[in-house]
Amino acid sequence: MNAAIEVNHLTCRYDALVTVDRISFSVTEGEFFIIIGPNGSGKSTLMNTIAGLMRSAGGEIRIKNRPLKSYTQKDLARTIALVRQQASVDFPFTVAEVVMMGRAPHQGMLGLERTADQAAVREALTFTDLHHLANRKMHQLSGGERQRVFIARAICQDPEIMLLDEPTAALDLAHQTRIMDLMEKLKQEKGTTIVMISHDINLASLYADTLLLLKNGQVIRSGSPVAVLAYDVLESAYGCSLLVDTNPVKACPRITLVPESQLERIRKAGKG
Amino acid sequence: MFSENRLTAMKHPLIRNLFISISLTLLSIGTACGEKIVVDPIGRTVHVPDHPLRIISMAPSVTEIIFALEQQHRLVGVTRFSNYPAAARSLPRVGSYVRLDMERILALRPDLCIAVKDGNPINVVTRLMELGIPVYAVDPRNIAAIIQTVQALGDLLEAGENTGRLVQQMQQRVGRIRDLVATSRNRPRVFVQIGISPLVSVGPNTLADELITLAGGRNVVTGSNLYPVFSREQILGLAPEVLIITSMAREKIFVDIKREWQEWQQLPAVRNQRLYLINSDLTDRPSPRLLEGLECLTAAIHPELLDMQGLNCQ
Amino acid sequence: MNIIKRISIISIILTIVLLLTMVLGISVGSSDQNLLHMVKALIYPEQDPVLSAIVLKLRFPRVLLAVIAGAVLSLGGVVFQSILRNPLAEPYILGISGGAAIGAILGIIMGLARFPGVGFTAFAGSILSLILILYLSSGQTIFQKDRLLLSGVMVNAFCSAVIMFLVSITRDARLHNIIFWLMGDFSTINALQAGLLLVMVIPCFIIIFMLSHTLNLLSMGKETAKSSGVRTRLIILVQLLTTSFMVSLVVGYCGLLGFVGLVVPHLMRIRLGPDHRVLVPACILGGGAYMVLCDILARTLPEQGEMPTGVVTALIGAPLFIYFLKRSNR
Repeated sequence: MNAAIEVNHLTCRYDALVTVDRISFSVTEGEFFIIIGPNGSGKSTLMNTIAGLMRSAGGEIRIKNRPLKSYTQKDLARTIALVRQQASVDFPFTVAEVVMMGRAPHQGMLGLERTADQAAVREALTFTDLHHLANRKMHQLSGGERQRVFIARAICQDPEIMLLDEPTAALDLAHQTRIMDLMEKLKQEKGTTIVMISHDINLASLYADTLLLLKNGQVIRSGSPVAVLAYDVLESAYGCSLLVDTNPVKACPRITLVPESQLERIRKAGKG
Repeated sequence: MFSENRLTAMKHPLIRNLFISISLTLLSIGTACGEKIVVDPIGRTVHVPDHPLRIISMAPSVTEIIFALEQQHRLVGVTRFSNYPAAARSLPRVGSYVRLDMERILALRPDLCIAVKDGNPINVVTRLMELGIPVYAVDPRNIAAIIQTVQALGDLLEAGENTGRLVQQMQQRVGRIRDLVATSRNRPRVFVQIGISPLVSVGPNTLADELITLAGGRNVVTGSNLYPVFSREQILGLAPEVLIITSMAREKIFVDIKREWQEWQQLPAVRNQRLYLINSDLTDRPSPRLLEGLECLTAAIHPELLDMQGLNCQ
Repeated sequence: MNIIKRISIISIILTIVLLLTMVLGISVGSSDQNLLHMVKALIYPEQDPVLSAIVLKLRFPRVLLAVIAGAVLSLGGVVFQSILRNPLAEPYILGISGGAAIGAILGIIMGLARFPGVGFTAFAGSILSLILILYLSSGQTIFQKDRLLLSGVMVNAFCSAVIMFLVSITRDARLHNIIFWLMGDFSTINALQAGLLLVMVIPCFIIIFMLSHTLNLLSMGKETAKSSGVRTRLIILVQLLTTSFMVSLVVGYCGLLGFVGLVVPHLMRIRLGPDHRVLVPACILGGGAYMVLCDILARTLPEQGEMPTGVVTALIGAPLFIYFLKRSNR
């Protein structure tokens, strides 16, 4: 299978601080790739750099086997769509208008809407189950609904790669699974490559094809969830006590936090 | 203040002719008979009517001069503060001399406008000329120039004998004061206060300064600033012997000002009760009445030479 | 509704409104105010050449200038509100007014004519202050909006101090000129100058309209815009420069007319929604009409003479601004 994204010895800096330290990995086309790691491990910086929003200080990124630098802004937008955490909307656009803006990379300067654009919007709204909210103003929606709007907008961009930066942060349980399922569906039905940053290790474990564990800007481990989510790896990366067993819903690792009061008891029972 | 560049454009024959033809076609203002070309006191060449009958005065001083020349029948519009003589108050107003109302001016269909340098804004003058209205500019910056202005306007307005008579009168008055003052060797130190708040005085090269010198006094204010602002302490340092207040103060306000100054007994002028109020129109306005101001100042500075009671200084 | 249809309908309606206000504007003045007389004078100029001259050479250029100023300031407001993502921003906010004022005052002190001399010095002043602000607020992320706003406020405050100093040392008739300019003044213009101004701002209108969709994308955030394919740095720079150019031209000629760039975009946004492809033409046409109305009030309200138009825009705009503020807090 081809590599959708290839990262070679990528280094990112913020002033004197090195936020991403010569990391290399690749993302296969059509896979669900999730990046995890403690705060400050460089996940967002990494994603912003891949998306072309920030400049790297060294190394190379290749998108679909072409250097990132060779893409024009618009070309890149047709290939990659980025969904960030809860962007605020200061102006009262409707859901349909926001989703239509996703078509911008495929339109002329004035963004005049053609039938193809309207069809794409309709499809994206149906896909994300937002059809009934099409004419609602953005500030009237709940957090989860707003996030779905941004996802619908990203879908409209018709990208081959979808980047999401902690899309489920601050959402309730129902919306969390809903969004993960949406991504899964995108992957299955359209073959979109999904690259996501998640703070929820269990969700990541349930959905990911490949996991990338970062700490202090470096790759600690990458591979399938089983390979990455070993308790010693996790404990040293996150610096806390964990219990790892198997998720009853699917054959993937399940991580449970161990409170200090239970630590002795678990240790005696033998961590699995 | 005019920038000479813009006005010399009028000297160019082509542009001049263009303006003339445009104005004649668009604005047929009914000038009687023909026109003549004159050079105004600041050196501009102007096309004025032979017999101007609809004149707009763009400054109160010009209004006074026109009345003094007995040519007020030619006036159709004056600026807001044209308050002398009383008859001037009933003439149509065209705004103030810094803020002229172009529409009112046009609506009065003037055949000539008379402007003052260092008073009317240059862009208004330019606009008027663009609209085909001749503007004759005068520059009465000192007494000699005022007399010249009277002469020039008298000729322009066909005032005949009035011109010579008025000029002679003015020269005689100046001469009389000059002779009178020459008899005294004393030159008291004078401070003229033209603003109440802030305290503004007059520097050299102002009309009031010239009057002070002619009236046999010495202006304590030197330096290049025309209208400097002072604090009372600074005036203490200047130690004037005579204090003249010429703001547009009425009697009541003058009493208040006098009272305020009473605290400052260190000032010779206050100690010796040499505070006087003179109507600012008499010391500020470059018209024949300036000579009344001169006489008032002389009476204030040299009461032994001239009695203020006989004059009308307020 | 189709966006093209929407733009067309709104533009037509507002154009009619604008034309009506312009007609009202040229029929009002300190001499004859009768509409019939005016129409007659225009059709038969020989019958009343004075009125026809007054209307064509005095009132019409002034109304045209009001339209241009209103359009430019409103459009500037829309652009800055999007770039700064703040619905209550004004085109003066990035120190353009302060810098332009200093430049204009220096020009007046030097004895330059209002147009093009003072207009040019005002423009130079505004560009200098804009550069200063961009420099002050630059860092790794240039155009970071909070720092831009803060730098703008500081530079404006500094400029105010300089302006007061300049005013305090000017003691002659130029002072009058400066003060009237500071309060917003349409009275000194002729048709040629108004026409030149129009020719210079129309390309700016066109540029900004062409970029109106990018304004939509930008109003959702710089990163979001970038990931939609917008070359944000370039676009923002172009918009800033274009807006600054036309705003400082207007400021240089007419002085400071406050609140227009705040009130008109806000009114339009409330009525017409946030799509800039509609807002841009709406602000141009609606802003022009609004300013003509303010100018009419400036000329007719006082018993004697006229108020500076800037006073009217402030008197109307400030209460409206407070009303918007309260509304947005709800």
